[in-house]
Amino acid sequence: MFKNEEMEINLGPQHPSTHGVLRVKLRLDGETVVKCTPIIGYLHRGVEKICENKTFFQGQVWTDRMDYVAAISNNLGWAEGVEKLFGIEVPRRARYIRTMLTEMNRLASHLLWLATHALDIGAMTVFLYTFREREYLLDLFEAFCGARLTTTAFRIGGLREDLPPGFIKQAQAFQGIFLDCLEEYETLLSENRIWKKRTVGVAKISAEDCIALGVTGPVLRAAGVPYDIRKAFPSAAYAEMDFEIPTRPEADTYARYLVRLAEMRQSHRIIQQCIDGLPEGPVMAKIPKILKSEVNEVYHSIEAPKGELGYYFVGEKGGTTPYRMHVRAPSFVNMQALSKMVEGRLLADVIAAIGTLDVVLGEIDR
Amino acid sequence: MRLLKTLIPSDIAAGLALTGKYFGKVFLSANRKKVRAHLKHFTQEYPEIPVRLAPRFRGRLTLLKDEQGEIKCVCCLACEKICPTEVITIEKGKKEGRKMPFPVRYDFEMERCIFCEFCVESCGFDSIILNHQFELATYNREDFSLGMEGDGQNMFVPSPVGKYSVAED
Repeated sequence: MFKNEEMEINLGPQHPSTHGVLRVKLRLDGETVVKCTPIIGYLHRGVEKICENKTFFQGQVWTDRMDYVAAISNNLGWAEGVEKLFGIEVPRRARYIRTMLTEMNRLASHLLWLATHALDIGAMTVFLYTFREREYLLDLFEAFCGARLTTTAFRIGGLREDLPPGFIKQAQAFQGIFLDCLEEYETLLSENRIWKKRTVGVAKISAEDCIALGVTGPVLRAAGVPYDIRKAFPSAAYAEMDFEIPTRPEADTYARYLVRLAEMRQSHRIIQQCIDGLPEGPVMAKIPKILKSEVNEVYHSIEAPKGELGYYFVGEKGGTTPYRMHVRAPSFVNMQALSKMVEGRLLADVIAAIGTLDVVLGEIDR
Repeated sequence: MRLLKTLIPSDIAAGLALTGKYFGKVFLSANRKKVRAHLKHFTQEYPEIPVRLAPRFRGRLTLLKDEQGEIKCVCCLACEKICPTEVITIEKGKKEGRKMPFPVRYDFEMERCIFCEFCVESCGFDSIILNHQFELATYNREDFSLGMEGDGQNMFVPSPVGKYSVAED
Protein backbone atom coordinates (compact mmCIF):
# COMPACT_ATOMS: atom_id res chain seq x y z
CA MET A 1 0.00 0.00 0.00
CA PHE A 2 2.71 2.48 0.93
CA LYS A 3 5.52 2.95 -1.49
CA ASN A 4 9.03 3.70 -0.33
CA GLU A 5 10.29 6.49 -2.54
CA GLU A 6 12.43 9.58 -2.36
CA MET A 7 10.85 12.99 -2.20
CA GLU A 8 12.09 16.35 -3.46
CA ILE A 9 11.32 19.51 -1.51
CA ASN A 10 12.32 23.13 -1.66
CA LEU A 11 13.76 24.87 1.39
CA GLY A 12 13.29 28.54 0.67
CA PRO A 13 13.58 31.01 -1.03
CA GLN A 14 11.17 32.45 1.53
CA HIS A 15 12.08 30.17 4.39
CA PRO A 16 12.91 32.27 7.46
CA SER A 17 16.08 30.39 8.35
CA THR A 18 17.78 30.54 4.98
CA HIS A 19 18.95 34.09 5.78
CA GLY A 20 17.70 35.75 2.66
CA VAL A 21 16.60 34.37 -0.66
CA LEU A 22 18.51 31.10 -0.70
CA ARG A 23 16.68 28.16 -2.21
CA VAL A 24 17.92 24.70 -1.32
CA LYS A 25 16.57 21.78 -3.33
CA LEU A 26 16.59 18.74 -1.09
CA ARG A 27 16.10 15.12 -2.05
CA LEU A 28 14.82 13.31 1.01
CA ASP A 29 14.56 9.70 1.98
CA GLY A 30 12.25 9.95 4.95
CA GLU A 31 14.01 12.57 6.99
CA THR A 32 17.50 11.86 5.67
CA VAL A 33 18.96 14.19 3.07
CA VAL A 34 20.11 12.26 0.01
CA LYS A 35 21.06 15.20 -2.17
CA CYS A 36 21.29 18.89 -1.48
CA THR A 37 21.52 21.52 -4.22
CA PRO A 38 21.70 25.20 -3.30
CA ILE A 39 20.11 27.41 -5.96
CA ILE A 40 21.21 31.04 -5.96
CA GLY A 41 20.65 34.12 -8.04
CA TYR A 42 17.46 35.61 -6.63
CA LEU A 43 19.29 38.75 -5.48
CA HIS A 44 21.52 39.21 -8.50
CA ARG A 45 22.09 42.88 -9.34
CA GLY A 46 25.17 42.68 -11.54
CA VAL A 47 27.46 44.64 -9.25
CA GLU A 48 30.59 43.59 -11.14
CA LYS A 49 29.20 44.85 -14.44
CA ILE A 50 27.88 48.08 -12.91
CA CYS A 51 31.30 48.82 -11.46
CA GLU A 52 32.85 48.68 -14.93
CA ASN A 53 30.84 51.78 -15.81
CA LYS A 54 31.51 53.69 -12.59
CA THR A 55 34.68 55.50 -11.60
CA PHE A 56 36.98 54.14 -8.91
CA PHE A 57 35.45 56.61 -6.42
CA GLN A 58 31.84 55.78 -7.23
CA GLY A 59 32.14 52.01 -7.20
CA GLN A 60 32.54 51.87 -3.44
CA VAL A 61 28.83 52.43 -2.79
CA TRP A 62 28.03 49.08 -4.40
CA THR A 63 30.34 47.23 -2.06
CA ASP A 64 28.16 48.31 0.88
CA ARG A 65 25.28 46.48 -0.65
CA MET A 66 27.03 43.17 -1.18
CA ASP A 67 27.64 41.97 2.36
CA TYR A 68 25.31 44.37 4.10
CA VAL A 69 26.01 43.13 7.62
CA ALA A 70 29.74 43.75 7.19
CA ALA A 71 29.74 46.77 4.89
CA ILE A 72 32.91 48.29 6.37
CA SER A 73 34.97 45.19 5.57
CA ASN A 74 33.76 45.43 1.99
CA ASN A 75 34.66 49.12 1.89
CA LEU A 76 38.14 48.29 3.18
CA GLY A 77 38.69 45.72 0.45
CA TRP A 78 37.60 48.11 -2.29
CA ALA A 79 39.60 51.07 -0.97
CA GLU A 80 42.78 49.09 -0.43
CA GLY A 81 42.46 47.34 -3.77
CA VAL A 82 42.20 50.65 -5.64
CA GLU A 83 45.06 52.09 -3.57
CA LYS A 84 47.19 49.10 -4.53
CA LEU A 85 46.32 49.64 -8.20
CA PHE A 86 47.44 53.27 -8.08
CA GLY A 87 50.22 52.90 -5.51
CA ILE A 88 48.68 55.30 -3.00
CA GLU A 89 50.18 55.42 0.49
CA VAL A 90 47.59 55.84 3.26
CA PRO A 91 48.49 57.87 6.40
CA ARG A 92 49.14 55.86 9.53
CA ARG A 93 46.26 57.37 11.52
CA ALA A 94 43.81 56.50 8.75
CA ARG A 95 45.09 52.92 8.74
CA TYR A 96 44.55 52.63 12.48
CA ILE A 97 41.01 54.00 12.29
CA ARG A 98 40.27 51.67 9.38
CA THR A 99 41.48 48.70 11.39
CA MET A 100 39.42 49.71 14.41
CA LEU A 101 36.22 50.15 12.40
CA THR A 102 36.74 46.91 10.49
CA GLU A 103 37.14 44.98 13.73
CA MET A 104 34.03 46.63 15.16
CA ASN A 105 32.25 45.53 12.02
CA ARG A 106 33.53 42.00 12.55
CA LEU A 107 32.00 42.08 16.01
CA ALA A 108 28.71 43.38 14.61
CA SER A 109 28.67 40.69 11.94
CA HIS A 110 29.50 37.88 14.37
CA LEU A 111 26.87 39.15 16.81
CA LEU A 112 24.26 39.04 14.07
CA TRP A 113 25.46 35.57 13.10
CA LEU A 114 25.18 34.35 16.70
CA ALA A 115 21.72 35.87 17.03
CA THR A 116 20.25 34.36 13.88
CA HIS A 117 22.04 31.04 14.21
CA ALA A 118 20.77 30.58 17.75
CA LEU A 119 17.31 31.69 16.69
CA ASP A 120 17.25 29.09 13.92
CA ILE A 121 18.23 26.35 16.31
CA GLY A 122 15.75 27.49 18.94
CA ALA A 123 17.44 29.79 21.44
CA MET A 124 15.46 33.02 21.42
CA THR A 125 17.09 34.92 24.29
CA VAL A 126 20.53 35.20 22.71
CA PHE A 127 18.99 37.04 19.78
CA LEU A 128 17.76 39.85 22.01
CA TYR A 129 21.02 40.09 23.94
CA THR A 130 23.34 40.21 20.94
CA PHE A 131 21.21 42.76 19.13
CA ARG A 132 21.49 44.99 22.17
CA GLU A 133 25.28 45.08 21.82
CA ARG A 134 25.13 45.30 18.04
CA GLU A 135 23.00 48.41 18.39
CA TYR A 136 25.83 50.01 20.31
CA LEU A 137 28.24 49.34 17.45
CA LEU A 138 25.78 50.59 14.83
CA ASP A 139 25.45 53.83 16.80
CA LEU A 140 29.23 54.17 16.63
CA PHE A 141 29.12 53.70 12.85
CA GLU A 142 26.39 56.30 12.60
CA ALA A 143 28.49 58.73 14.62
CA PHE A 144 31.50 58.10 12.37
CA CYS A 145 30.01 58.12 8.89
CA GLY A 146 26.32 58.92 9.17
CA ALA A 147 24.80 55.58 8.27
CA ARG A 148 24.28 52.38 10.17
CA LEU A 149 24.37 49.69 7.50
CA THR A 150 25.31 51.12 4.11
CA THR A 151 28.27 52.94 5.56
CA THR A 152 30.52 54.00 2.63
CA ALA A 153 32.98 54.59 5.45
CA PHE A 154 36.34 54.97 3.69
CA ARG A 155 37.66 56.95 0.75
CA ILE A 156 40.41 56.18 -1.71
CA GLY A 157 43.53 57.47 0.05
CA GLY A 158 42.25 57.50 3.60
CA LEU A 159 39.12 58.69 5.32
CA ARG A 160 36.72 61.50 4.57
CA GLU A 161 36.79 62.92 8.09
CA ASP A 162 38.55 62.22 11.35
CA LEU A 163 36.76 60.52 14.23
CA PRO A 164 33.92 62.63 15.63
CA PRO A 165 34.33 64.08 19.14
CA GLY A 166 33.30 61.60 21.80
CA PHE A 167 33.84 58.57 19.58
CA ILE A 168 36.79 57.20 21.55
CA LYS A 169 34.90 57.64 24.83
CA GLN A 170 31.90 55.75 23.49
CA ALA A 171 34.14 53.02 22.07
CA GLN A 172 35.88 52.69 25.45
CA ALA A 173 32.48 52.32 27.14
CA PHE A 174 31.65 49.53 24.74
CA GLN A 175 35.03 47.89 25.30
CA GLY A 176 34.38 47.96 29.04
CA ILE A 177 31.15 45.98 28.91
CA PHE A 178 31.65 43.72 25.91
CA LEU A 179 33.60 40.90 27.57
CA ASP A 180 30.89 40.58 30.23
CA CYS A 181 28.32 40.37 27.48
CA LEU A 182 30.27 37.57 25.78
CA GLU A 183 30.23 35.67 29.05
CA GLU A 184 26.45 36.07 29.16
CA TYR A 185 26.11 34.45 25.75
CA GLU A 186 28.37 31.64 26.86
CA THR A 187 26.28 31.12 29.98
CA LEU A 188 23.23 30.74 27.79
CA LEU A 189 24.74 28.53 25.12
CA SER A 190 28.12 26.89 25.71
CA GLU A 191 27.03 24.31 28.26
CA ASN A 192 23.36 24.25 27.35
CA ARG A 193 22.39 20.64 26.65
CA ILE A 194 19.85 21.50 23.93
CA TRP A 195 22.39 23.68 22.13
CA LYS A 196 25.02 20.95 22.36
CA LYS A 197 22.63 18.29 21.07
CA ARG A 198 21.88 20.44 18.04
CA THR A 199 25.49 21.40 17.29
CA VAL A 200 28.07 18.87 18.50
CA GLY A 201 29.05 16.59 15.63
CA VAL A 202 26.63 18.27 13.22
CA ALA A 203 27.65 19.40 9.72
CA LYS A 204 31.21 18.16 9.84
CA ILE A 205 33.63 18.98 7.05
CA SER A 206 37.27 17.97 7.08
CA ALA A 207 40.21 20.32 6.55
CA GLU A 208 41.07 18.58 3.25
CA ASP A 209 37.56 19.15 1.91
CA CYS A 210 37.65 22.77 3.08
CA ILE A 211 40.89 23.44 1.23
CA ALA A 212 39.73 21.57 -1.86
CA LEU A 213 36.53 23.63 -2.02
CA GLY A 214 38.27 26.90 -1.22
CA VAL A 215 36.39 27.43 2.02
CA THR A 216 37.95 30.14 4.18
CA GLY A 217 37.23 32.02 7.35
CA PRO A 218 35.94 30.58 10.64
CA VAL A 219 34.76 27.39 8.88
CA LEU A 220 38.32 26.60 7.82
CA ARG A 221 39.78 27.61 11.18
CA ALA A 222 37.30 25.38 13.00
CA ALA A 223 38.74 22.51 10.96
CA GLY A 224 42.16 23.17 12.46
CA VAL A 225 43.85 25.23 9.74
CA PRO A 226 45.28 28.45 11.17
CA TYR A 227 44.82 30.54 8.01
CA ASP A 228 43.92 34.18 8.43
CA ILE A 229 44.55 36.89 5.81
CA ARG A 230 45.20 39.36 8.61
CA LYS A 231 48.33 37.35 9.49
CA ALA A 232 49.19 35.87 6.11
CA PHE A 233 48.95 39.08 4.03
CA PRO A 234 48.52 41.89 6.56
CA SER A 235 46.99 45.11 5.27
CA ALA A 236 45.75 48.27 7.04
CA ALA A 237 47.44 48.24 10.46
CA TYR A 238 47.17 44.52 11.14
CA ALA A 239 50.94 44.03 10.94
CA GLU A 240 51.35 46.19 14.05
CA MET A 241 48.62 44.42 16.04
CA ASP A 242 49.10 41.61 18.50
CA PHE A 243 46.44 38.92 18.19
CA GLU A 244 46.04 35.19 17.82
CA ILE A 245 44.25 32.97 15.34
CA PRO A 246 41.80 30.76 17.25
CA THR A 247 41.43 27.25 15.86
CA ARG A 248 39.60 24.07 16.85
CA PRO A 249 40.20 20.52 15.60
CA GLU A 250 36.60 19.20 15.70
CA ALA A 251 35.28 20.83 12.48
CA ASP A 252 31.65 20.67 13.57
CA THR A 253 29.02 23.35 14.22
CA TYR A 254 29.93 23.62 17.89
CA ALA A 255 33.61 24.15 17.04
CA ARG A 256 32.66 26.96 14.65
CA TYR A 257 30.63 28.56 17.41
CA LEU A 258 33.63 28.42 19.75
CA VAL A 259 35.99 29.75 17.08
CA ARG A 260 33.75 32.71 16.34
CA LEU A 261 33.40 33.54 20.03
CA ALA A 262 37.19 33.37 20.42
CA GLU A 263 37.51 35.61 17.35
CA MET A 264 35.28 38.17 19.00
CA ARG A 265 37.68 38.21 21.94
CA GLN A 266 40.61 38.79 19.56
CA SER A 267 38.72 41.58 17.79
CA HIS A 268 38.11 43.16 21.17
CA ARG A 269 41.87 43.03 21.77
CA ILE A 270 42.64 44.63 18.40
CA ILE A 271 40.15 47.46 18.99
CA GLN A 272 41.76 48.12 22.36
CA GLN A 273 45.21 48.28 20.78
CA CYS A 274 43.92 50.67 18.11
CA ILE A 275 42.40 52.96 20.74
CA ASP A 276 45.54 52.91 22.89
CA GLY A 277 48.01 53.39 20.07
CA LEU A 278 46.04 55.76 17.84
CA PRO A 279 48.69 58.00 16.21
CA GLU A 280 48.21 61.67 15.42
CA GLY A 281 48.37 63.06 11.92
CA PRO A 282 46.35 63.52 8.76
CA VAL A 283 43.72 61.00 7.69
CA MET A 284 43.80 61.64 3.94
CA ALA A 285 46.62 61.23 1.46
CA LYS A 286 47.06 63.65 -1.43
CA ILE A 287 45.42 62.06 -4.44
CA PRO A 288 44.46 63.49 -7.84
CA LYS A 289 40.84 64.42 -8.50
CA ILE A 290 40.60 61.98 -11.39
CA LEU A 291 42.33 58.62 -11.15
CA LYS A 292 43.53 57.35 -14.53
CA SER A 293 44.81 53.81 -14.59
CA GLU A 294 47.50 52.15 -16.66
CA VAL A 295 47.35 48.65 -18.11
CA ASN A 296 47.62 46.86 -14.83
CA GLU A 297 45.92 44.25 -12.72
CA VAL A 298 45.69 43.83 -8.99
CA TYR A 299 44.22 41.27 -6.64
CA HIS A 300 43.75 42.35 -3.07
CA SER A 301 42.14 40.28 -0.37
CA ILE A 302 41.23 41.00 3.23
CA GLU A 303 39.81 38.90 6.03
CA ALA A 304 36.10 39.66 6.05
CA PRO A 305 34.02 38.20 8.92
CA LYS A 306 32.97 35.37 6.61
CA GLY A 307 36.31 34.54 5.05
CA GLU A 308 38.64 35.76 2.35
CA LEU A 309 37.14 38.71 0.53
CA GLY A 310 39.10 39.50 -2.60
CA TYR A 311 38.84 42.30 -5.14
CA TYR A 312 40.35 41.86 -8.56
CA PHE A 313 40.86 44.98 -10.67
CA VAL A 314 41.99 45.21 -14.26
CA GLY A 315 42.90 48.69 -15.48
CA GLU A 316 43.14 49.92 -19.05
CA LYS A 317 45.29 52.76 -20.33
CA GLY A 318 43.86 56.12 -19.35
CA GLY A 319 40.70 54.57 -18.00
CA THR A 320 38.84 56.23 -15.15
CA THR A 321 36.80 53.08 -14.57
CA PRO A 322 37.99 49.52 -13.97
CA TYR A 323 38.18 47.54 -17.20
CA ARG A 324 37.05 44.52 -15.23
CA MET A 325 36.20 44.12 -11.56
CA HIS A 326 35.70 40.78 -9.91
CA VAL A 327 34.80 39.96 -6.33
CA ARG A 328 35.82 36.77 -4.60
CA ALA A 329 32.94 36.67 -2.15
CA PRO A 330 33.52 34.44 0.88
CA SER A 331 29.85 33.46 1.28
CA PHE A 332 29.66 32.35 -2.34
CA VAL A 333 32.64 30.04 -2.02
CA ASN A 334 31.69 28.77 1.44
CA MET A 335 28.22 27.90 0.14
CA GLN A 336 29.79 25.02 -1.81
CA ALA A 337 30.48 23.23 1.44
CA LEU A 338 26.75 22.95 2.23
CA SER A 339 26.08 19.78 0.21
CA LYS A 340 29.16 18.07 1.67
CA MET A 341 28.05 18.99 5.18
CA VAL A 342 24.47 17.78 5.07
CA GLU A 343 24.25 14.86 2.65
CA GLY A 344 23.41 11.71 4.57
CA ARG A 345 22.24 13.63 7.62
CA LEU A 346 18.87 14.76 8.92
CA LEU A 347 16.75 17.57 7.53
CA ALA A 348 17.00 19.56 10.76
CA ASP A 349 20.78 19.66 10.38
CA VAL A 350 20.42 21.60 7.12
CA ILE A 351 19.14 24.58 9.12
CA ALA A 352 22.10 24.34 11.48
CA ALA A 353 24.52 24.01 8.53
CA ILE A 354 23.16 27.09 6.73
CA GLY A 355 23.40 29.01 9.99
CA THR A 356 26.92 27.90 10.76
CA LEU A 357 28.21 28.85 7.29
CA ASP A 358 27.11 32.44 8.00
CA VAL A 359 26.04 33.23 4.46
CA VAL A 360 24.73 36.58 3.31
CA LEU A 361 22.78 36.34 0.09
CA GLY A 362 23.59 39.87 -1.00
CA GLU A 363 27.17 38.76 -1.28
CA ILE A 364 26.49 35.40 -2.91
CA ASP A 365 24.42 36.83 -5.75
CA ARG A 366 26.10 40.26 -5.97
CA MET B 1 28.60 11.04 36.96
CA ARG B 2 26.99 11.24 33.56
CA LEU B 3 23.66 10.21 35.03
CA LEU B 4 24.02 12.82 37.75
CA LYS B 5 24.70 15.46 35.11
CA THR B 6 21.60 14.43 33.21
CA LEU B 7 19.43 14.48 36.31
CA ILE B 8 20.59 17.85 37.63
CA PRO B 9 20.02 20.44 34.91
CA SER B 10 22.68 22.90 36.10
CA ASP B 11 23.31 24.19 32.56
CA ILE B 12 19.68 25.15 32.05
CA ALA B 13 19.52 26.60 35.56
CA ALA B 14 22.48 28.88 34.77
CA GLY B 15 20.74 30.18 31.67
CA LEU B 16 17.47 30.67 33.50
CA ALA B 17 19.27 32.54 36.28
CA LEU B 18 20.64 34.99 33.72
CA THR B 19 17.29 35.64 32.08
CA GLY B 20 15.76 35.82 35.56
CA LYS B 21 18.25 38.51 36.50
CA TYR B 22 17.15 40.71 33.60
CA PHE B 23 13.50 39.89 34.20
CA GLY B 24 13.85 40.92 37.83
CA LYS B 25 15.49 44.20 36.86
CA VAL B 26 12.60 45.07 34.58
CA PHE B 27 9.89 43.72 36.86
CA LEU B 28 11.03 45.53 39.98
CA SER B 29 11.49 48.85 38.29
CA ALA B 30 8.42 48.77 36.03
CA ASN B 31 6.38 51.98 36.10
CA ARG B 32 8.47 53.40 38.92
CA LYS B 33 11.59 54.65 37.27
CA LYS B 34 13.42 54.10 34.02
CA VAL B 35 14.82 50.61 33.70
CA ARG B 36 18.57 50.70 34.09
CA ALA B 37 20.06 48.24 31.69
CA HIS B 38 23.78 47.74 32.06
CA LEU B 39 24.49 49.65 28.87
CA LYS B 40 21.98 52.30 27.97
CA HIS B 41 18.56 52.41 26.45
CA PHE B 42 18.22 51.27 22.92
CA THR B 43 14.50 50.86 22.64
CA GLN B 44 12.92 54.24 22.10
CA GLU B 45 9.28 55.26 22.17
CA TYR B 46 9.76 56.49 18.66
CA PRO B 47 6.67 58.30 17.39
CA GLU B 48 5.97 59.89 20.78
CA ILE B 49 9.56 60.80 21.58
CA PRO B 50 11.70 62.21 18.75
CA VAL B 51 14.68 60.15 17.70
CA ARG B 52 18.16 61.47 18.41
CA LEU B 53 20.45 61.23 15.42
CA ALA B 54 24.19 61.63 15.14
CA PRO B 55 25.36 64.99 13.73
CA ARG B 56 26.78 63.28 10.66
CA PHE B 57 23.52 61.48 9.83
CA ARG B 58 22.89 61.32 6.11
CA GLY B 59 19.34 62.29 5.24
CA ARG B 60 17.71 64.10 2.31
CA LEU B 61 19.64 66.40 -0.01
CA THR B 62 18.99 70.12 0.63
CA LEU B 63 20.01 73.25 -1.27
CA LEU B 64 21.31 76.03 0.95
CA LYS B 65 20.82 79.79 0.68
CA ASP B 66 23.19 82.47 1.95
CA GLU B 67 22.28 85.40 4.24
CA GLN B 68 20.74 87.43 1.43
CA GLY B 69 18.46 84.57 0.47
CA GLU B 70 20.45 83.79 -2.66
CA ILE B 71 21.00 80.21 -3.71
CA LYS B 72 24.61 79.32 -2.98
CA CYS B 73 24.88 76.85 -5.88
CA VAL B 74 26.97 78.13 -8.80
CA CYS B 75 26.34 75.23 -11.22
CA CYS B 76 29.82 73.74 -11.26
CA LEU B 77 28.13 70.35 -11.87
CA ALA B 78 30.57 68.55 -9.55
CA CYS B 79 27.71 66.85 -7.68
CA GLU B 80 26.05 65.82 -10.91
CA LYS B 81 29.26 64.18 -12.10
CA ILE B 82 30.19 62.36 -8.88
CA CYS B 83 26.71 60.98 -8.14
CA PRO B 84 26.89 57.17 -8.45
CA THR B 85 23.20 56.81 -9.27
CA GLU B 86 22.82 59.97 -11.37
CA VAL B 87 19.97 61.50 -9.45
CA ILE B 88 20.91 65.18 -9.81
CA THR B 89 20.14 67.26 -12.92
CA ILE B 90 21.16 70.90 -13.03
CA GLU B 91 20.30 73.49 -15.69
CA LYS B 92 22.57 76.50 -15.89
CA GLY B 93 21.15 79.96 -16.27
CA LYS B 94 21.70 83.68 -15.70
CA LYS B 95 20.05 86.01 -13.23
CA GLU B 96 19.99 89.80 -13.11
CA GLY B 97 22.57 91.23 -10.73
CA ARG B 98 24.40 87.98 -10.10
CA LYS B 99 27.91 87.36 -11.31
CA MET B 100 28.00 83.62 -10.85
CA PRO B 101 25.84 81.18 -12.84
CA PHE B 102 22.48 80.48 -11.34
CA PRO B 103 20.68 77.10 -11.32
CA VAL B 104 17.45 77.49 -13.23
CA ARG B 105 16.60 73.91 -12.47
CA TYR B 106 18.00 71.66 -9.75
CA ASP B 107 16.20 68.34 -9.94
CA PHE B 108 16.71 65.56 -7.46
CA GLU B 109 15.22 62.12 -7.99
CA MET B 110 14.97 60.88 -4.42
CA GLU B 111 13.67 57.43 -5.29
CA ARG B 112 17.08 56.48 -6.68
CA CYS B 113 19.22 58.34 -4.13
CA ILE B 114 21.37 56.08 -1.94
CA PHE B 115 22.41 58.79 0.56
CA CYS B 116 26.16 58.29 0.16
CA GLU B 117 27.02 62.00 0.62
CA PHE B 118 29.47 62.04 -2.31
CA CYS B 119 27.71 65.12 -3.70
CA VAL B 120 28.17 67.12 -0.50
CA GLU B 121 31.81 66.07 -0.38
CA SER B 122 32.44 67.16 -3.96
CA CYS B 123 30.80 70.57 -3.52
CA GLY B 124 33.45 73.27 -3.30
CA PHE B 125 30.98 76.03 -2.33
CA ASP B 126 29.22 74.35 0.64
CA SER B 127 25.94 74.90 -1.14
CA ILE B 128 24.32 71.53 -0.43
CA ILE B 129 23.96 69.35 2.66
CA LEU B 130 22.25 66.14 3.58
CA ASN B 131 19.82 67.10 6.33
CA HIS B 132 18.60 64.92 9.18
CA GLN B 133 15.26 64.05 7.69
CA PHE B 134 14.56 60.34 7.34
CA GLU B 135 10.76 60.10 7.18
CA LEU B 136 10.65 60.38 3.44
CA ALA B 137 7.75 58.13 2.49
CA THR B 138 4.98 59.64 0.38
CA TYR B 139 1.85 58.37 -1.29
CA ASN B 140 2.71 59.35 -4.85
CA ARG B 141 5.70 58.47 -6.90
CA GLU B 142 5.87 62.02 -8.30
CA ASP B 143 6.54 63.38 -4.82
CA PHE B 144 9.99 61.81 -4.89
CA SER B 145 11.06 64.11 -7.74
CA LEU B 146 12.13 67.19 -5.85
CA GLY B 147 12.79 70.49 -7.56
CA MET B 148 13.22 74.12 -6.64
CA GLU B 149 9.44 74.65 -6.78
CA GLY B 150 6.67 72.70 -5.17
CA ASP B 151 4.84 73.30 -1.94
CA GLY B 152 5.06 69.89 -0.26
CA GLN B 153 8.72 68.98 -0.12
CA ASN B 154 11.16 71.03 -2.08
CA MET B 155 14.90 71.28 -2.13
CA PHE B 156 15.06 74.12 0.38
CA VAL B 157 13.32 72.61 3.37
CA PRO B 158 16.11 72.38 5.93
CA SER B 159 16.37 69.96 8.81
CA PRO B 160 14.58 69.14 11.01
CA VAL B 161 11.36 69.10 9.08
CA GLY B 162 10.20 65.70 10.21
CA LYS B 163 8.00 65.79 13.26
CA TYR B 164 9.87 62.96 14.82
CA SER B 165 13.57 63.55 14.29
CA VAL B 166 15.96 65.80 16.16
CA ALA B 167 19.53 66.55 15.17
CA GLU B 168 22.08 66.14 17.91
CA ASP B 169 24.34 69.06 16.98
